[in-house]
Amino acid sequence: MTDTAFEAAGLGKRFGRRGGWALRDCALRLPAGRVCALVGPNGAGKSTLLALAAGLLAPTEGRVTVLGTAPAAARARVGYVAQDKPLHPQLTIADTLRMGAGLNPGHWDADTAERVVAAGDLDPKAKVRSLSGGQRTRVALALALGKRPGLLLLDEPMADLDPLARHDLMGTLMAQAAQYGTTIVMSSHVVAELEDSCDHLLLLGGGRVRLAGEIDDLLAAHARVAVPAGTDLAPHTVVESRTTGRQLTALLRPASPLPSDWRATTPSLEELVLSHLRNPDALALTPAHEEAAA
Amino acid sequence: MSAVPLPAPAAARPRLAPWLLRLHRPALYVWTALVLLTAAALLWLGGPLTDAAASAWDQYGACDWSAHCSYDQPAILRYKDVANYTTLAVTAVPFLVAAWAGAALFGREMESGTAQLTWTQGVTPTRWLTTRLALPAALITTGTSLLVLLHHLAWTAGEGRIDTAKPWYDTLTLHANGPTTVALALTGLAAGALAGLTLRRTLPALCVSLLAVACTRGLADLAMPHLWPAVTRVTDLRQDPAGTGLTVDQGLVTATGRHIADPGCGSTLAPECRALYERLDATAFYTDYHPASHYWPLQLTTTLALLTLTALLTTIGYVTLRRTTGGRRRGAAV
Amino acid sequence: MVEYRIDRHSGVATYVQLVQQTKQALRLGLLRPGDKLPTAREVVEATAINPNTVLKAYRELEREGLVEARRGLGTFVRRGLGSAPADSPLRTELEQWAARAREAGLDRDDVAALFTDVLDKHFQGDPS
Repeated sequence: MTDTAFEAAGLGKRFGRRGGWALRDCALRLPAGRVCALVGPNGAGKSTLLALAAGLLAPTEGRVTVLGTAPAAARARVGYVAQDKPLHPQLTIADTLRMGAGLNPGHWDADTAERVVAAGDLDPKAKVRSLSGGQRTRVALALALGKRPGLLLLDEPMADLDPLARHDLMGTLMAQAAQYGTTIVMSSHVVAELEDSCDHLLLLGGGRVRLAGEIDDLLAAHARVAVPAGTDLAPHTVVESRTTGRQLTALLRPASPLPSDWRATTPSLEELVLSHLRNPDALALTPAHEEAAA
Repeated sequence: MSAVPLPAPAAARPRLAPWLLRLHRPALYVWTALVLLTAAALLWLGGPLTDAAASAWDQYGACDWSAHCSYDQPAILRYKDVANYTTLAVTAVPFLVAAWAGAALFGREMESGTAQLTWTQGVTPTRWLTTRLALPAALITTGTSLLVLLHHLAWTAGEGRIDTAKPWYDTLTLHANGPTTVALALTGLAAGALAGLTLRRTLPALCVSLLAVACTRGLADLAMPHLWPAVTRVTDLRQDPAGTGLTVDQGLVTATGRHIADPGCGSTLAPECRALYERLDATAFYTDYHPASHYWPLQLTTTLALLTLTALLTTIGYVTLRRTTGGRRRGAAV
Repeated sequence: MVEYRIDRHSGVATYVQLVQQTKQALRLGLLRPGDKLPTAREVVEATAINPNTVLKAYRELEREGLVEARRGLGTFVRRGLGSAPADSPLRTELEQWAARAREAGLDRDDVAALFTDVLDKHFQGDPS
C-alpha cells in the first residue's frame, strides 16, 4: 500500500504530432485520503490530467502514477466520471447498475450505488435517455462509487446540478471519503463551489501547474498587504500588486516575517486563485518547486 | 515448509459478452431476421422455385417453334427475381456489417464516451476490443456461412436445368457462392473497428468503413483471376476464341508463339479478317481463363488474401488503442 | 445529539464553527458527558464539508479536554461546559427576571441593553 494516491512528474500531453500542449511539465503529489480541488479556467488541461490519471490517455512525456502503479494497472481501483457523464442511453438505471456489478466482479458495492440513486428519487426502471442532466450525473456517480474506488476522479461533477442536488451529492462524496478514506480529485472552474469540501488544491493555468498543496498551507504561505505606494516589496515574491493613489496593495509570498505596519491579512482561497490566474508569469508554488529550491 | 499456499482464487473476470449482446440487442435481432429471411428465400429458391422453373424450361424446350406454345413463364420470372434478390442480399452482407461496426459498435461508443466508461469500469481497453471483435465475428461468420452455403446449394440445384441461371463465374454469383463473402464480412468488421477507433465519430466512421469495404471488394475482383495460374486454350482462327469460364486474357498467337492483342475482327470466315491476321502473322486465338475446376482454388486464395487484410486491420486497431490509452506494458516501466 | 449548521459567509473558519456549535450544545446541556458526537461520516454527509475539517474540530475539542475519542467506537463527551444547563436554577431565575421586566413595561431592546450592561460589568476582560 502507498500513502500517495496520485503522482506525476514531468507529465505532458500533446494531441497530434503538431498540436499544442494540453498539459506540460506537470509535477504533483497528492497524498491518499485527500479531497483535491482541480481548478483552472476552461482549456487549462484539467480534463486532460484526469483522463491521463484514469488511463484513458497515454502521456506524451513524463509519467503518472495512481495508487502506486501505472493507471492502466489500477483500473479496478480508480473511479472516473467524465465531464459529459456518458452512459448507455438504451439501458434502464437498474440495468446500468447491474452492468457496473457485472464489469466489477468481486468489488462491487451494490448498496452504495443503489443508495446514491435512491437519494435522487429516481425510478430504477427509467431509461437513461429520459433523464435530466442532474439525474444522469447521479447515475454516473453511482456507477463510479459502486466500484468502491480508492481514487475517484470527477471532471466537473457538479456542473449540471441545482444547488440542492449539489449539496446532497457533495455530502455523499464526503461521506464516502470519511468512511473509506477515498481520495477524491474533482475539477471545476468555480472555486467557491469546492472551498468547503476540499483540503487540497491543484491550480492549472495554460497547461501548467500554478499552485499545488494543502489549502491551509497555501493560504498560510501568502499574505495580502496594503502599504504606501513606492514601498519596496523585495525580497518577497510578488504574485500581484496594484497601486491606487497613495496605496499599494499586493498579494505576496513572504520570504521572511513581514513588517508589522504592512497590515498583512490572509487571502481567501478565491483571491489566491484569481491572483495567480491573472498573473500567469508569477512563480508557481508546487512541491516540485519547493524541492528544487531546497 | 508445511503451509502449502492455497491456490489463489482466480480473479473473477468482468463479464463483457452478455452486456455487449444486451447493448446491441436491436442489431442482434436485425441480423437474426436478415439471416433467417434470406435463408428461407434461398431454400425456397433451391427447392420449389428451381423445380417449377426447370419444368417451365422443359416445356419451353419442347415447344416446336411454329405452333402456339404454352409454358409457365411466371415460374421462370419468379425464379429469376428471387435468384437476383437473394444473390444481392448475400453480397450486401459485408457492407451492412461494415456500416454497423463503424457506426454503432465503435464510432458511436467512442463519440459518446461510453467506450471510455467501460475502460474505467475495471475492463482493459484491449479486452474490451477483443470482446467487441470476437463475439460479432463469431455471429457474422456463422450467419454468413449459412447464407453462402444455402446460396451455393440453391445455385447448384439450378445448374444445367435453368437456361437463365447465372454461370459460376458471374461476379456476384461467384462471391455469393463461396467463402469470399464470409471473409469480406470479417474485413468489414475490422475496417469498422479501425475507423471507429481512429475517427471517434459515428458518421465519418460509417462512411469510411463502407468505402473501405467497397474498395476491398473492387480490389478482390481485380486480383482474384491472378491468384491462381490460368489455363491457356488455343483455338483455330477459323473459329471464334473459346474457353468458358473466368477469362483473364484473350488475343492472337503469332507464328513465333508471341501473344499479341486481338484487333477484334472475328473468325477468318470473313476475307478481310483473314487478310488482317496474315498481315499480323497470327496463327491462332488464345484464351487465358479459369475453367470451373478452378472455382475452389480461386475462392480459397481470395479468401486467404481477405483474411490477411482483416488480420492487418485488426492489428492496427489494437496498436492504435494501445497507443492512445497507454497499455499496461508501457505504464509498468515506471 | 447535535446537528451542525455551516454558514459559508460568516467569515469564521468551518472547523471553528463546529467547535463553537459543540461548545454551545455543551453549555445548553444538549450534549452531556457520555454522549456520542456524530461520526465524521454523519457530519459530512449532512453538511458536505471536508471530513478532515470535522476531524480537526474534534481534535481541538479533545485538546481542550471536552471530548475523547474511543478507538472504533466514536467520539464521546467527557465533561460539560459552564454550569448553566437548560434546566438549571440560574436559568429559572433569569426567566423569572425576564418575565418581571416585561411586566414592568420594558421592551426587548431595553432588556437586551440592560443585560449587556450588567454582563460587561461582571465579566470585564473575560474572553467571550
